[in-house]
Amino acid sequence: MVFKGKWNGNVYRLERLLGAGSNGQVWLASRGGVPCALKLGLDAADLQGETNILAALERGGRNRTPYLLDADDARLGGQDIPFYAMRYVPGMPVRQFVRRRGPRAVAAAGSHLLDRLAELHEAGWVFGDLKCDNVLVAPGGQVTLVDYGGATRIGRSVRQFTEIYDRGYWRAGNRTAEPAYDWFSAAVLWVHALDGDRLMRLTRTLPPQNRHPRELLRLVHTHPYLRHMEIWMRMALEGRFSDTREATRRWREQAVRLDHAAPDGIPGWMAGMAAATLVLGAATAVLWFVR
Amino acid sequence: MNQILLITDGHSNVGESPVLAASRALAQDIIVNVIGVVDEGELGLAGAEEIESIARAGGGMSRIVSSPMLAQTVQMMTQQTVVGTIRMTVNKELRQLLGVDSVAELPPPKRAEVVRMMEDLSETTRLRVALLIDASASMRPKLNAVEEAVRDLAISLQSRQGESAVAVFHFPGEDPYEPCVLDLPWTDRVDGLGKLFRNIRMQGTTPTGPALLRVVEYFRETCGNIKEKTELSLPPHGWEDPDVMRSGDVG
Repeated sequence: MVFKGKWNGNVYRLERLLGAGSNGQVWLASRGGVPCALKLGLDAADLQGETNILAALERGGRNRTPYLLDADDARLGGQDIPFYAMRYVPGMPVRQFVRRRGPRAVAAAGSHLLDRLAELHEAGWVFGDLKCDNVLVAPGGQVTLVDYGGATRIGRSVRQFTEIYDRGYWRAGNRTAEPAYDWFSAAVLWVHALDGDRLMRLTRTLPPQNRHPRELLRLVHTHPYLRHMEIWMRMALEGRFSDTREATRRWREQAVRLDHAAPDGIPGWMAGMAAATLVLGAATAVLWFVR
Repeated sequence: MNQILLITDGHSNVGESPVLAASRALAQDIIVNVIGVVDEGELGLAGAEEIESIARAGGGMSRIVSSPMLAQTVQMMTQQTVVGTIRMTVNKELRQLLGVDSVAELPPPKRAEVVRMMEDLSETTRLRVALLIDASASMRPKLNAVEEAVRDLAISLQSRQGESAVAVFHFPGEDPYEPCVLDLPWTDRVDGLGKLFRNIRMQGTTPTGPALLRVVEYFRETCGNIKEKTELSLPPHGWEDPDVMRSGDVG
């Protein structure tokens, strides 16, 4: 399907639907043979809110390739549909990335994610609705944030969030946009990506008054990979970094340990049990010997 | 901006009609939203219809949800009502000033300005939300979820830049002359929220209408003349904000 923008006159061809959310659809499209992503909105004011954020980021970004390419209305099926065009970035959602590339690949992806967040924070914005679905990872680990519906100027109340990623839900703070809000969600994101089943079970069974970051840390502590990131996770959940650059640096320092983590297929607790058996065996042997 | 959020699981059976009460609230510029909480079984057609008509008369919206969804729904409804009210006010101004029906008809650069202004207003406008909780016997197992929803709403309100406050009532009260009881007067703090509903007596009646009227009265008592207008003015022609996207900047 081909259409021409009402105000700016650019011609787009819609190629295929990439995804649909609560407030619109994202299409792979092309303009003059160059691929781009188009977000078609359901509501003009809603979509304009997102466009405003992207435009503000565009001005804040230093020497970045532009992300927002156009904002206009499309005449489709007899009505005006507001849309904006973005640079097309191939990649897959975090959970899929982890399934394909294995848990060790989060070392690089996590650090790239924090780079993206640092850029945003330094420009005066918080991403807000950080979650697995809103983070695309390219095969090399490069990260693109998508869906800026939650992006909020620092100091305001977060515009949009997802319960299990929200520090208010976990009784760990309010919903005022500040970098620490994103750090918290980033920590939950890695728990969700690596230990999703247990996280979901926890949120289903935990009574609201018992929600607390320590419950998340309990998952981290007993997970074969996440436990190597426990210090970072604790600092992120408690908002204890001085800024997002420090969060990135600490992530890199600790993520090195993921390389030495338990091999795929042998959960940490099993490795631990094997060790315990050995120690017990040794103790028995010693006792036997001194008898 | 003033809102009443009624949370119930049945329908009224005593006193004035809640639909009339809601329209009285709206006449005082208080918007009434309604949530039906249903965990097992059904609300029944009569209950569902009543919820919808109360919200319609009160200029608000209605939803029927299960208790795990309550906190999210309360927060979403409150936010959408703020945004919706501001949009309505702005669109009215646009009609008067520019002769367009909505922001969607404006060219993108102007649209960007107006939307930014609407968002500023949504964040900074003074907001008061009074929750009115049906505490009849069938609601008893859901009161934990209700408390959680109140706490969650308080967190969101506390995070706003604008002045915000929440108050909580439950109904019915102790005797026929007291349709509802004030559990928590206006507050903007989350920390003080302990157990909200400690001394609730079983009562057979559901005086939804009288309880709504009592809350409207509370607004009048505590907020004085509440018919305040949202301060609003469109930027003068040619006004440029550095944070507003001009379509010429892109593409």
